[in-house]
Amino acid sequence: MDRSRRNFCLGAGATTIGAVTVAAMPAAAAAPGAASPRRDGDPAHRWAMVVDVGKCVGCQACTVACIMENDVPENSFRTIVSTYEVTEQGKAGSYMLPRLCNHCEDPPCIPVCPTGATFQRRDGIVVVDNTVCVGCAYCVQACPYDARFINHETQTADKCTFCVHRVEAGLLPACVETCVGGARIFGDLNDPHSAVATLVREENPKVLKPEQGTQPRVFYLGLDPRFQGKVDGTPTLWRPTSQPHSQKEHA
Amino acid sequence: MDNHIVEVINVTREVAWLPWAVQYFFLIGLSVGGLLLSLPGYAFARADWRALGRIALLVALTCGLAAPVALLSDLHQPGRFWHFYVVLRPTSWMWWGSIFIPLYVTVLLVYGWACFREELQAHGRVDSRLAALYRLASLGGGRNDALIRAAGLFALAGALLVALYTGAEVAVVKARPLWHTPFLPVQFLLTALAGAAGLVLLLNRFAAGNDRAVEVRANRLLAGVLGGVMLVGALWLALGLFGLDATHAEALGSVAGSEAWRVTAVWAVAATALPFAIAVAKPAGTGLLTGLIALHGAWMFRWTVFIGGQTVPKTGAGFYDYALPAGPEGLLGIVGTAGLWLFLLIALTAILPSPRRPAPAPARAPRAPAGPVAAAE
Ligand code: SF4
Ligand code: SF4
Repeated sequence: MDRSRRNFCLGAGATTIGAVTVAAMPAAAAAPGAASPRRDGDPAHRWAMVVDVGKCVGCQACTVACIMENDVPENSFRTIVSTYEVTEQGKAGSYMLPRLCNHCEDPPCIPVCPTGATFQRRDGIVVVDNTVCVGCAYCVQACPYDARFINHETQTADKCTFCVHRVEAGLLPACVETCVGGARIFGDLNDPHSAVATLVREENPKVLKPEQGTQPRVFYLGLDPRFQGKVDGTPTLWRPTSQPHSQKEHA
Repeated sequence: MDNHIVEVINVTREVAWLPWAVQYFFLIGLSVGGLLLSLPGYAFARADWRALGRIALLVALTCGLAAPVALLSDLHQPGRFWHFYVVLRPTSWMWWGSIFIPLYVTVLLVYGWACFREELQAHGRVDSRLAALYRLASLGGGRNDALIRAAGLFALAGALLVALYTGAEVAVVKARPLWHTPFLPVQFLLTALAGAAGLVLLLNRFAAGNDRAVEVRANRLLAGVLGGVMLVGALWLALGLFGLDATHAEALGSVAGSEAWRVTAVWAVAATALPFAIAVAKPAGTGLLTGLIALHGAWMFRWTVFIGGQTVPKTGAGFYDYALPAGPEGLLGIVGTAGLWLFLLIALTAILPSPRRPAPAPARAPRAPAGPVAAAE
């Protein structure tokens, strides 16, 4: 995958340089009413992830790797593997669903941001500039996936960045790198030969909450429709350590 | 049951809009409501609305000044508030809010000054050490109905913009079905009016000489507004219940199974129907009760929308727990804003004490017919 990525870069280099100068102007003079312009990143790529649910063993290695890589504060998660016990006709089994920011193609978290701290790079990665963010949490409300939270160390909005710092260095996101079962596949949708582009093209993967119109760029293979939206079940007993445990209601 | 799902591991997202936000939406709503109620007496110079208008103006000013403090405190980086003012973000209702709020508060202050100028002038004529200050504050003038009307119309425009943005800001959040309804802005405005009428009733009792005519008028207003609240609430429920509208059905579905939400619903109906019935049956002598319930109803509505709304997970099962923290991110925020409001009220009523009714006769005159009218209802 890495090789194909580098090859693709070579071809797109010339266009990229042109695009930078052209795109810089409308971005600087963003007129009222204009949609949030994308900036930074290389438009030659469109980073995406395919999660093969059947290969996830629920070990949470990705959860831990993300916390270590990104210094995520206690009780907060940029990614987590939601784990469910599913009973069908008296037989119980487990269902694992890795969750993270979907780096949506039409992300509702961006237009609501009153400062422009949240923006989408031209390679599709949605990021927060935490030197600009005022911590108003409007984006936290607007994300349909509960992917965002307020980081209490920076007091700003925080979320998965696809490990943009690693991707820019030609590395895989920490969760992908560490995944035991090989359930997380990362790559460039713009590269027709990449694993993600092939899977998306050939395997017809699903996305979470498609009715929200967000066009997620995290795809799922083997996604059970019962887990596509808000899960109808008995909620987890896990609670942040700052909160007391108490009886939770059933949905 | 044969088939069921138990969530074993998932994340609990804490509320990100804190009780500060509830306080903000409550106070700014009361301010807008107070302003609207003050207009007939001042901007349109209707003498019979003047006494009620004066109390409503106190509501508008005290709540309008306290509200932005609560809003600022809801930011996790309050020191960066100026970041709103160095960008153009027209896609964000919150950004529009950052323009509308200072506009509204400014025109509200000008309007308040224009309305109170007559009183400032009167205080300036009294032989006291502060008289010079009052004369300065009145800028050497008195009542000027044209000025009051112009300022009042600007303040009305500001209030409508604030009502629009506060409603739209929450209603556009598609990710939360409970918020994503065109009814929400209307419900915010109506409950704000009810809360403002309630606060007028309370202040009439405690801070403005307990005027019967004001009480009856405010109670009638309250009944009318609460009627509207019930109507809109019923419409929302009907759309959801009968599945006439997908978003409303989804909103209802997300909470219908919960015992706590059912209790809240019964509570909300009681907090609307009860003061409505009392205000209709006996508008005189009940202002303290109806006022308190209406004010509490307006607050509860916002608490339920914001804190309750955020305890509905977007992807996870069931509900998130919420326990009110004791610190600034919880109880202290509520008590603090209430304290600030009380301070503003005491300061304002100290500077501008309610005018002693100069001649008892005209003040009592409207009282006399109030009795039979009340009895007639
Ligand atoms: S998943 Fe949420 S935070 Fe991520 S891009 Fe989509 S809307 Fe924004
Ligand atoms: S919390 Fe930060 S990133 Fe999110 S909407 Fe507010 S300013 Fe923008």
